[in-house]
Amino acid sequence: MKYPSAFEVLTHSPGTMIGVTLVAVHVMVTLFAPVLIPFEETKIVGPVLSSPGSVENWLGTDNIGRDYLSRLLMGGRTSIFVAMVSITFAVLIASLVGISAAYVGGIYDDVVMRIVDTKLAIPGILFIALIVTGFGRSIPALTAAIALSYLPGAIRIIRSQALTIIPLGFVETAKLRGDSLPRIIWKELVPNCQEIIAVEFALRMSSSILTVSALSFLGLGISPPTPDWGLMIAEGVKNIHTHTWLILLPAAFISTLVIGLNLASDGLANALGLDAARGIN
Amino acid sequence: MLWILIRRLTLSLLILFLAAVFVFLATEVLPGDALDVFLTADDLAVMDEEEIEEMRRDFGLDRPAWVRFWDWFSGVLVGNLGKTFIHEVPISEIIWHPLINSVLLGVVITVITLPVAILIGILTGYRRGYREDIIVSNASIVGYSIPDFVIGTCLIIVFAVWMPLFPAVIIAFSDSPPGELLAVSLLPALTVIIGHIAHQSRLLRAGFIETMNSEFVERVRLSGIPEGRVIFRHALPASVIPTLNSFAMYTAGVLSGLVVVEKVFGYPGLGRELIEAVSRREVHVVQAITFLSATVVIVMNLLADLAVIILDPRVRSLKS
Repeated sequence: MKYPSAFEVLTHSPGTMIGVTLVAVHVMVTLFAPVLIPFEETKIVGPVLSSPGSVENWLGTDNIGRDYLSRLLMGGRTSIFVAMVSITFAVLIASLVGISAAYVGGIYDDVVMRIVDTKLAIPGILFIALIVTGFGRSIPALTAAIALSYLPGAIRIIRSQALTIIPLGFVETAKLRGDSLPRIIWKELVPNCQEIIAVEFALRMSSSILTVSALSFLGLGISPPTPDWGLMIAEGVKNIHTHTWLILLPAAFISTLVIGLNLASDGLANALGLDAARGIN
Repeated sequence: MLWILIRRLTLSLLILFLAAVFVFLATEVLPGDALDVFLTADDLAVMDEEEIEEMRRDFGLDRPAWVRFWDWFSGVLVGNLGKTFIHEVPISEIIWHPLINSVLLGVVITVITLPVAILIGILTGYRRGYREDIIVSNASIVGYSIPDFVIGTCLIIVFAVWMPLFPAVIIAFSDSPPGELLAVSLLPALTVIIGHIAHQSRLLRAGFIETMNSEFVERVRLSGIPEGRVIFRHALPASVIPTLNSFAMYTAGVLSGLVVVEKVFGYPGLGRELIEAVSRREVHVVQAITFLSATVVIVMNLLADLAVIILDPRVRSLKS
C-alpha cells in the first residue's frame, strides 16, 4: 500500500475537510480562550439571565449572572483535557498490552482477554458511575475512570490487528535472529500497528469527549463552577421555556467538536485503508 | 456443537463472576468500605468514632472483604440484592418497577432501530461510492456524533417549547401501567434511536459490502437468480448474522443511552434510579444496578452467540 501523505489524509474527501476545519477552529478557540474572553468565566459580572446583545455581555449572562460568552469559550477546556489525558494513557497501555498478549499468547493472553470481556459487559456510563461512586467526584478519578473504561476495547482492536501481523515473515526472522521479546514488540510489531493505533486514538478521543460531557450533564463528571458544555446544558434546562439559547449554544459547540473529530477520523481511517465503522462503545 | 455451547456457557458464568468481583472491588474494597463511601464529610463532622463503629457493626462491615463479597454475591444469585442505608428498604423492591420500565423502553428502541438500520445498511452498501451512499454515510457520522443528551434536550425544545405537543417533563411514576409509559416513551426512544441507527447501519454496511464481494454471491448471481432475491435471500442473512456478534456492544450501548435519556426526560427507569443512587451515595443500589446491567449484557451476548451457532452453517462446521 502506498503510504498517504499528511496532506492526502487531510483532504481525503469533502467530509474530511469539513471535519479537519471544525477541529482546527475548536483547537484554536480552546487554546486561546483564556486571552479571548472578556470576563473571568467564574466571576459574577452582571444581572441574572440578561439577554444577549448588550455591549458588555455579548451573549448575555447565565442563571447566576456570569458572562455567557466567556463560559462558552472556556467550556471545552476541561473535558478536552480529561479526554486527551485519559485516551493517551488508554491507547498507550492498550497498545503494549494488546500487542504483547497477541505475541506471547497462552495464559497471559487468556487472562487479559477475560478481563477485557468483563469490562465490555459493563456499559460505559455505568462503569464510570460505579467508579465515581466509589472514589468520589474529582478530575483525577474521572480521568482514571475514563481511561479504564476505554482501555479494554482498545486492547481488543489492537490485539486483533497484531494477530494478523505476527505470522508474517519478518517477525519470524526477528525471532530467529535472536531478538529479545521487548525488541520484537517495539521494533517489529508496534510500527506495523501504528495505523490502527492512530485511528483508535482519534475515534476514542471523540467518543470520550461525548462521555465526559454526558457525565457532566448527569452530574457525575466535571463539577461547578468550572464551565463545561454538558454542565451548562444541564443548568440551562431550568430555564428551557424562556432562555433556549442557553442550551442551544453549548449544544452547538459540543456537537460541532465531536462531528468534526468523527469526520476527520473517518477520513484518516479511509486514507489509511482501514474501516472506521467498527464497534466503539 | 455441544462443546461450543458448554464452553460459551462456562465463559459467560466466569465473566459474570468477574464482573461481580469488579463491582465489589470498585465500591467496597479499594475506596474503603460501603460506609466510607456513604458518609459525607458533613456526616463525619457530627458523628464520633463510636457511632461510626456501631453503624459499621450493624451493617456487618467489620467482617473481612472476601466474607462480605461472598455474602453479597450469594445473595445476588438468589435475587437478594441487599438493603439501602436510608430506611433499610430491600433494593429489589426499589428497582423492580424501574427495571421493567427500562426493559420496555429498551425493547421499543431495539424494535425500531434494527429494521431501519438493516435497510439503510443494505441501501448504502449496495450503492457504495454513489452520491446517496456518501450523503447517508456522512449524515450517519453526524448522527452518532451529537450527544444523546443534546438530541433529547433539543427534541424537548422543539416538541415541548416551540410546538407544545408533548410535556417537557414526563409525569409518570415508576409503577405506572405499561400503556401509559409507552405513550410517553416516544421522545426518549427517538432520542437514542438516531445515534443507534447511525452506528448500526454503518456496521451493517461494512458487512454487506464484504458479502456482496464474496464468491458465493457471485456464484448465486451467475446462476441467474434475480438481483432482489440475491440481496434479500442470500446476501442479507450472510451479512446480518455475523453482526449478531456485536449485539453485546449494542446492548451495552442501549443501557448507557438509557441512563442519559431517562435523566433528560425524567423517565422512571433504572438509569434515573442509578443517577439518584449515585448522588445519595447508596453504594448497594449502584452495585445492584451495575451488576444487573452486566448480567443483561452477558445474557444477550450468550443468546446472540447461540443464534449465530444455530443460524450460521459456517460457524457450526468450523468449530465443532
